Amino acid sequence: MQFKFSKFATALLASGIISLPITASANDSSELEELRGLVQELSQQVKVLARKGEINEEAAAADKKATPVVKAGTSGFSFGSADGKNEIKFRGVLQADHRHFSDGANDVRNRSATRAGSLDANGFHDAEDTSLLRRVRPTIEGKVAGKYGFRFTPEFAGGSASAVDAYVDANLSPAFKIRAGKQKSIVGLERLQGGGDIKFVERSYVTNAILPNRDLGVTVSGDLFNNTLNYGVGIVNGVNDGGNISTGTEYNGEREYTARLFATPFKDSDTALAGLGFGIGGTWTNYTGERNLDFTGTSAADATRNGLPSYVSDGQQTFFRYNSASLADGKRIRFTPQASYYNGPFGLITEYARVNQDVSLLAGTTTNTATVISPNTNKKLSHDAWQVAASYLITGEDASFRGVKPKQDFDLDKGGWGAWELVARYSEINLDDDTFRNKAGTSYSTNTYANLSESAKSAKSWTAGVNWYLNSNAKIALNYSHTSFDGGAGVGITAVNAAGTNIRDRESENALLARFQVAF
Amino acid sequence: MKKSLLAIALLTAVFGATAPSLALAKDVEILNVSYDPTRELYVDFNKAFAAHWKAKTGDNVSVKQSHGGAGKQARAVIDGLQADVVTLALAYDIDAISEKAKLFPKDWQARLPNNSSPYTSTIVLLVRKGNPKKIKDWDDLVKSGVSVITPNPKTSGGARWNYLAAWAYALKQNNNDEGKAKDFVKKLFANVPVLDSGARGSTTTFVERGIGDVFISWENEAFLALKELGPDKFEIVVPTLSILAEPPVTVVDKNAKKHGTEAVSKAYLEYLYSDEGQDIAGKHYYRPTNPKYAEKYASQFPKVNLIKIDDVFGGWQKAQKTHFSDGGTFDQIYAK
Repeated sequence: MQFKFSKFATALLASGIISLPITASANDSSELEELRGLVQELSQQVKVLARKGEINEEAAAADKKATPVVKAGTSGFSFGSADGKNEIKFRGVLQADHRHFSDGANDVRNRSATRAGSLDANGFHDAEDTSLLRRVRPTIEGKVAGKYGFRFTPEFAGGSASAVDAYVDANLSPAFKIRAGKQKSIVGLERLQGGGDIKFVERSYVTNAILPNRDLGVTVSGDLFNNTLNYGVGIVNGVNDGGNISTGTEYNGEREYTARLFATPFKDSDTALAGLGFGIGGTWTNYTGERNLDFTGTSAADATRNGLPSYVSDGQQTFFRYNSASLADGKRIRFTPQASYYNGPFGLITEYARVNQDVSLLAGTTTNTATVISPNTNKKLSHDAWQVAASYLITGEDASFRGVKPKQDFDLDKGGWGAWELVARYSEINLDDDTFRNKAGTSYSTNTYANLSESAKSAKSWTAGVNWYLNSNAKIALNYSHTSFDGGAGVGITAVNAAGTNIRDRESENALLARFQVAF
Repeated sequence: MKKSLLAIALLTAVFGATAPSLALAKDVEILNVSYDPTRELYVDFNKAFAAHWKAKTGDNVSVKQSHGGAGKQARAVIDGLQADVVTLALAYDIDAISEKAKLFPKDWQARLPNNSSPYTSTIVLLVRKGNPKKIKDWDDLVKSGVSVITPNPKTSGGARWNYLAAWAYALKQNNNDEGKAKDFVKKLFANVPVLDSGARGSTTTFVERGIGDVFISWENEAFLALKELGPDKFEIVVPTLSILAEPPVTVVDKNAKKHGTEAVSKAYLEYLYSDEGQDIAGKHYYRPTNPKYAEKYASQFPKVNLIKIDDVFGGWQKAQKTHFSDGGTFDQIYAK
């Protein structure tokens, strides 16, 4: 400022504005003194103006700190307080899918020997090509007072609205966060990946079949040891394998306990192991079979409340379901070792999951009947699944557990082609052979827990695909999936014989799954 | 039910094992919302208190500081700034927090010695080396051609002390004629080219930007300018009359309770009265209230005839209402 003023004064002198008196009366000391005073006065005035400018800028900066912040970008739309402690965000994901089946049978739930139409020799319809909205999920999430938050995500796909996520958070510290409400299960690795971030059109058997999807309850989680170890524990209502609990009340009083540890010990290193993470998760519950039923309802209602799952193929066709007389009765224990690895454009996820499920058979009607579970039918069944999935970004972006940000957005005018990613996965699920036999293990035809003529014992899927990320928000995915089955159809739609020898394998499924997605 | 209880117990045990630091709560943080010129004082004091608290309790205490014009700072606390303690320039601003936000009782000033003022100060005049405008006393500040630097009394506690000191001088010179005092202060503010929002801003204006002939300054701020920039650039002029400034402190009870910092906040302010606290205040040119340390540092402070606000203005509530509230005398005399 001092320097600027000197230049200013020099300029005044040089310009002649104040040079004439000097020239005219160079020896007049009083005029020189007057001139000096004038320059000093001007100096002060310039400094005052400059200082007032500074003060105004400081005031503007202070005002800005109190001005609410409105954001609109690839992560959604938000507005919040200037200090960031209070915020509301609007986000969403919309997925428009098309499924084309070149081979494959339709859902076993539609299997009927008496159904009109062209059935194959085993009583199956061909799987039907279809276009559908897979996910239509607007999200409102926010935080108040810095530490407390919420998320509400309804689902409008599938013909009816439901709440996918509806929970509140208390992020008391990075090491201690509480979440209560309907939320993702904490145990599965691929499940924790966002629906808009998954690498394949559908998740693997580990995630979709064995491990729980969403549940109601309370979880505590946090990051420890410089964020190299993430833990989570929870008490939830408990859901079927792959299940997404309703927001209604619990019908079985037993809670399910969940836990997971996931370590990323090298995350801050510069080594190739920086992107390695591994962990283990599990769930435990003990259902009382009779409480698992709706005594006041109809048998149809009971069928939806038997506490047991059905499993679907990569093409989302149900290939396994329990018999209607089966119900969960006893312990259900799941465990799932898991790992992920990311290095440059390469990514890998691998998971294994096993569920040990105690089951029994119903004696008959459940309405107003004192004893509904057949004695000596309780059995522990063990099903397992695993997957290994790899991805590679051929356009050079870094792979991550979250989404992909293209180096260049797709733009015909500017020549950008977005990000391109190749993906491949092998996933299989194997059901306990005892599922299809009676308690004694002597018959495949009577008092079994599932019908081998309808349901398969295993499914093995190869999936390959390409993801085209047009930008951070838009993605087109194309998967080709081949699934082979073991069992799942009776020869000539006849009943399975006691020895289980008149079984043929369900027709292999070849499906092309396409998706156009916008997520923000 | 029993299993649920068992599970909760297990969760607690697991969590307790994995996050011991939370259970033990060894790290404590408090926020001290203060007025403008106390930055350096509390930097030193906070270090001393942290060491004291560590030795006493084993806990690590971290004190965050927030500084600004006292009026602005009080407004920020009223609006939700989560101060655990406030250490402001004058009692009125702390009264305002109690009255408007009800974060602590009205009788807060009785909770600590000396009306909760662990140190005092006064107002002096800082001039440029050689005192080119020959400023000796308050009446030199109303002369034509004298440029005076003082902050805005609407936002700065220090500025209110400045204003009242000038007013008190004018009353004395004019046999308590309020009209003449008002005219005197009006002339004084007509010589003020820039109104900063706080005392530190005015220091910047006068010392760093080179604006003005005289800076009406907190005594400690004037000494700091001499210490930082050297006695070859500025001189302190002690007026014939000034005002006893009593910057008070208090715990913001409801905030501290919410943060679980009641004990440490109380101890923090009490430590200002300790030997070490008083010594640090003296080192930073605040006048200690403990006679032992007042004597120790007496030689560094000039002898000034100090009036008290209660004696001349009937206390802060009355002074605020008369002079600084909307439509008060300051609004009447100061043309923006």
